[in-house]
Amino acid sequence: MPAGPPPLAPPLKIADLAKSVPGGRLLFSNLALDMAPGEIVAIMGESGVGKSTLLNLIAGLDRADAGRIEIDGVDLSTLDDDARTGLRRDRIGFVFQAFHILPHLTLAQNVALPLILARRPEAEALKAAAAMLDQVGLGGRGQDFPAQVSGGEMQRIALARALVHRPALVLADEPTGNLDPQTADVILALLCDQLRGSGAAAVIVTHSERAAAAADRVLTLTAHGLVAHGR
Amino acid sequence: MVLGEWRAQPGRTLAAILAIAVGVGLGLAIHLVNRSALDEFAGAIRSVSGAADLQVQAASSAGFDEDLYPILARLDGVATASPVVELRARTDGGEPLTVLGLDPLRAAAVTPNLLGGGAVGGGGEGGVTTAEAVFDLDAITLSPAALQQSGLRVGDQVRLSAAGQSASFRIVGILEGVSGDRALGVIDIAAAQWRFDQLGRLHRLDLRLSPGVDRSAVERTVQANLPAEAALVTPQSEMRRTESLSRAYRVNLQMLALVALLTGGFLVYSAQSLSVTRRRPQFALLRVLGLPARGMLGQVLIEGVVLGLAGAALGVVLGVALAELALRLLGGDLGGGYFSGGRPPLVFTPVAAAIIFGLGVAIAVLGSLFPALQAERIPAAVALKTGSGESAETAGQPLPWLSLGLLAAGGLAALGPPVGGVPLFGYGAIALILAGGVGTMPWLARGLLGPLRRLRSPAPPIALAIARLWGAPRQAAVALCGIVASTSLMVAMAVMVTSFRGSVEDWLVQILPADIYMRLDPGLTLDPEAQARLAAAPEAAAIEFRQSFNLRLSPDRPPVQVSARGQAGAGAGEGLPLVGRQVTAEGLPAWISEPMARLYDLSPGDRLTLPIGPGAQAQVTVAGVWRDYSNQFGALILDQAAYTALTGDAGRAEAAMTLAPGVEPATAIEAFRARLPPSIAGGADFAEPREIRAVALRIFDRSFAVTYALEAIAILVGLAGVATTFSAQTLARRKEFGMLRHVGVRRGQIMQMLATEGALLGAVGALAGLTLGVIMSQVLIHVVNPQSFNWTMETRLPWPLLASLAAALVATSAGAAVLAGRGAVADSAVRAVREDW
Amino acid sequence: MIPRRAFAGLLGAGLIAPATPGLAQDRTGAPVFAPVRPGRSLTFPADHGAHPDFRTEWWYVTGWLQAQGQPIGFQITFFRIRTGADTRNPSAFAPTQVIFAHAAISDPAVGRLIHTQRIARAGFGLAEAKVGDMDIVLDDWRLRRVPDGTLKAYAGDQAFGLDLSLAPTQPPLLQGERGFSRKGPRADQASYYYSLPHLKVSGALTREGRRIAVTGEAWMDQEWSSTLLDARAVGWDWAGINLDGGGALTAFQVRDQQGQAVWAGGSLRGPDGRTTIFAPGDVRFVTRRQWRSPRTGARYPIARDIQARTPAGPRVWRLEPLFDDQELDSRPVGPVYWEGAVRTEGGRGYLELTGYDAPLAL
Repeated sequence: MPAGPPPLAPPLKIADLAKSVPGGRLLFSNLALDMAPGEIVAIMGESGVGKSTLLNLIAGLDRADAGRIEIDGVDLSTLDDDARTGLRRDRIGFVFQAFHILPHLTLAQNVALPLILARRPEAEALKAAAAMLDQVGLGGRGQDFPAQVSGGEMQRIALARALVHRPALVLADEPTGNLDPQTADVILALLCDQLRGSGAAAVIVTHSERAAAAADRVLTLTAHGLVAHGR
Repeated sequence: MVLGEWRAQPGRTLAAILAIAVGVGLGLAIHLVNRSALDEFAGAIRSVSGAADLQVQAASSAGFDEDLYPILARLDGVATASPVVELRARTDGGEPLTVLGLDPLRAAAVTPNLLGGGAVGGGGEGGVTTAEAVFDLDAITLSPAALQQSGLRVGDQVRLSAAGQSASFRIVGILEGVSGDRALGVIDIAAAQWRFDQLGRLHRLDLRLSPGVDRSAVERTVQANLPAEAALVTPQSEMRRTESLSRAYRVNLQMLALVALLTGGFLVYSAQSLSVTRRRPQFALLRVLGLPARGMLGQVLIEGVVLGLAGAALGVVLGVALAELALRLLGGDLGGGYFSGGRPPLVFTPVAAAIIFGLGVAIAVLGSLFPALQAERIPAAVALKTGSGESAETAGQPLPWLSLGLLAAGGLAALGPPVGGVPLFGYGAIALILAGGVGTMPWLARGLLGPLRRLRSPAPPIALAIARLWGAPRQAAVALCGIVASTSLMVAMAVMVTSFRGSVEDWLVQILPADIYMRLDPGLTLDPEAQARLAAAPEAAAIEFRQSFNLRLSPDRPPVQVSARGQAGAGAGEGLPLVGRQVTAEGLPAWISEPMARLYDLSPGDRLTLPIGPGAQAQVTVAGVWRDYSNQFGALILDQAAYTALTGDAGRAEAAMTLAPGVEPATAIEAFRARLPPSIAGGADFAEPREIRAVALRIFDRSFAVTYALEAIAILVGLAGVATTFSAQTLARRKEFGMLRHVGVRRGQIMQMLATEGALLGAVGALAGLTLGVIMSQVLIHVVNPQSFNWTMETRLPWPLLASLAAALVATSAGAAVLAGRGAVADSAVRAVREDW
Repeated sequence: MIPRRAFAGLLGAGLIAPATPGLAQDRTGAPVFAPVRPGRSLTFPADHGAHPDFRTEWWYVTGWLQAQGQPIGFQITFFRIRTGADTRNPSAFAPTQVIFAHAAISDPAVGRLIHTQRIARAGFGLAEAKVGDMDIVLDDWRLRRVPDGTLKAYAGDQAFGLDLSLAPTQPPLLQGERGFSRKGPRADQASYYYSLPHLKVSGALTREGRRIAVTGEAWMDQEWSSTLLDARAVGWDWAGINLDGGGALTAFQVRDQQGQAVWAGGSLRGPDGRTTIFAPGDVRFVTRRQWRSPRTGARYPIARDIQARTPAGPRVWRLEPLFDDQELDSRPVGPVYWEGAVRTEGGRGYLELTGYDAPLAL
């Protein structure tokens, strides 16, 4: 999607969200979050508190017990699986802790994946991917295979893939969790840089205070919802 | 750790174990069945030849002069010679049996088991009860089987026909010493000579040697005293002959066992490769924790040994059970028709079992070797850091020189000669071609998928599938090697059998050009007068009379069939399916069959001496070689006029009749039968080529029925291997699917992708398998078959079978991938892409 | 007659068809056996040869050997039997004649007989009994008369072999009425019978491959007949003794179920050649001691007195066996009987006792 004016609707709006684990234990309830376009929110919390579940709910990969999630003004509960998949493809970018770069695709192909899935013409997709790789510092390496790159470079590719289709929202799950501290800092800076450059909002789930510090807002996930960090 | 890994992947482990088990089982079963059949057969031979130390046999059913008896009996080192007249007879009920005319007093010292009850002079009890039978020229003693088949009892009269004569005998006893299903009757030798027109002739001399003599010296002396019409046969040479009867057929079955075993080896390779890949992080951790690289190698190899032991042990059990079942259902020749009747008891041979067991284990270890080396080379740091299951593959696939070398070596090996009558080099060639072929799979897969990559914007799932297959060809090869191995071997077998069957069909049409064929019962012949009467029938346009008999040219080989044929004015070679060049023979021409040419190393122009008739020695020249599938041990055709001149035998027992235009075969048969002498008319069989062809092909199909069944088993094992490997690979890619689902790939699209991957892999496998199979079939057709059966054939491809095989392969692969994918793209699985560490 | 010499089981009912003299053989193929009649004079050497028209015939050599100073008894016996086989059968294997032979030695050091036997249908020169002079062949066994009148005998197997020359020292002894010897109360129960006593033996005895030179003295009987024993007969006893100084004693009796003699006979030839023929009432066998075979349980009267009426008055010869266990088990070809070396004061010879294990089934 070509860069355009920031969308009017909030990239993410959550209200009264509640979710229990299959066993019945309540993870959280009355969770609410409103994000402004381009805003970067870091979510912290202890292990098992439900950070990943929250991300899954936002991505439309899990159903909430109660409450409502709107992405870019679209209520997820009104969509079926395929429509939610389409929404993810067009409006959301993902960055994973374990990179998840396909080893049998070139770096450019990996980055272009969201565009190809959206049936963009291949040439255009690859051109956009090349530009994106340029931006994350891997210019000219589009024809390389993932086996030839380091861990930090993998996450750069992942970043490029998350942003190549100009999503409204990027969901990042421990994006620096598999990286050494120096690389983590570099990647984090790059992430924020790119997010701000593209105008996408982002939810970053992290354990890292340093990562959290880069965000506009830092929230902690508790059983009673999201609270401001430090409280 | 080993157990844990297998518990995690039970299907794949089980498939590998099963494949090894099937290979070992089939191999062992085939060996055991054959061993048992041979033992039974050898027992039958022993019970007919008794415990004779040496045996002199007539080269043909005409026998040899009885004066040989005192000559051999007086030789130094010969303790006793027992003369035998051996006849093929029928009871008046039509049941065939072998009638032996013996001198009981001599047989008692040489072959006491051929005498009813205890034997006179042979020691033991009960001699008095049968003493009456000794020298009673009207008495016959029957084997249990002969009694059973004729429904007669001791005390009954039985009328026997043999050599055109018939005589009645009183059943005085049972030949308890003759085991099995052998229908045998023993009468006095003087009665046999007198009643069945064999005066002055013997068919066998059973010799007992003096204790302590040099056996080979006696053999030489005996040999030196033999006329051409008799040959020395030792129990060993008889065994060899028996073995050669079924060897060629066995070769096919063992080939199938090899298929299963090799498939098993490749499945072990698949299972172990995947398992090593999956455990990369685990191995890396172990490396980091201080386990040396050798340890990785060792562990994977030990896993291979355990897999092999389990599979081979299961295989031995399976093999024994299978052999037992096969013996019960199919008999000792596995339906091949080589041993008549008889369900031999199972004979277990521990040495053979141990060898096949060891082979199974070795193949499993070999299959584990490459994955083990791979495990040894895992770079600990990288593997730990990426946490990725899939091993990375670089863009360029170098030409697989090693594999090409193996293929070339296979090609060279195919040119090798047989070793001891077994086409060892041929089999070696097949193994090398298979190994080389499978080795080229990654390269081949990439080569075949290359064009697909240039497809203009295919649907994303298809693009992803192509990208993955092209990007990870080695993984594809791992999944495919098992099925390529089994498919190619199956295709090779199928092409060979189809070619064989097609060639046999053509040959049957060629060899049976007449409208009606007539054959008389053993011992009956048409004299020239009867021939003339038959030929004068208005229904016949032409009748070619033939005479055939068996002639033993070498003591260690089954006899060749000699036929006198040819119409007046036309050479006997006319209308034969000749192969290769022909020569105009100086002197007496003979046309020999392909097996005979190979067995006796003869080619057109060569000269050959035939011990035909009493004392006669015929020099013939090979005029041509003709294709023959009916007699594996050789056949020879003489001009009938020359045959009559040589032997003085103007009688004919067979005829090929060409009918006058418009005559119905049924009418003609009636007319011909009416023109036969009354004593012969009842013993004449008429058949139309159509019936003969049908019978021949039925026998053919029967003997290959087991082959088809075993093929199906091997294919199923191969497909099961594909399915399990695919499931495993798919499950290992859960995170990949999870990521794809995240970035916007629909569930259905993932299924499409997997189905495409599966179908493409299946297609590549089928293509590779078919190609390799056809190449290997050429080795079977042009090397293995001629070397073991001594006949050649023309290649025919069973297109419907090949097409359905390919379709089944594509469908199974796609289906297996989709089936495995369904679990892998469930929501819970998708969420597994993110994990809290 | 079927005689003192025992071979029976094999030659039972089936083998020897009931003699039906007078029937034309060209109609049924059954053989016609020549009858034994008195008045035929024996001529030699022709009568040393075989008489194939008769049903049975034997050449029976018994004697004592000196082997390394030790006495050893021996017997070599050849039988010829004409069977009931169809005479029309043109096959060279037609079993019209059968040759059968025994050999045995009695070595006191062994304590029992060492015995071996052969049988074959006549033919092909492998088994033949020649007509015209004595020459009987059975594979490598042979008994023949060479031109100087000496008999050459060979018989044996792995365990022992007898290779002997037997030189006559006296003319043949014609038994009965100049060779016509009655064997039963019926006139046709008879045989042609002559003996060669006092044969001077030289040659070799091979035992376990070791060849020992031997000398000794033997006795040969040749007898041929077509007639069966009397219906009451269950066995017979026979003795032939070379008496010191050149005399020869022959005695036989055919016994019934009760052990009574159905018929008896024999002869005594003096050193001067004068011969006395015993009538049935002239000779008796009296038992002094029995021996029970541990193998068969049969009881044999092995120590006997032969009482005979001679021109010089009644005589008694006390026979003592060389040793007790000289039982001969020829099953399954023949019966079990006792055939042993015996001595008496002033003589040595052989005693045969048949029908003690089981009645001879003839």
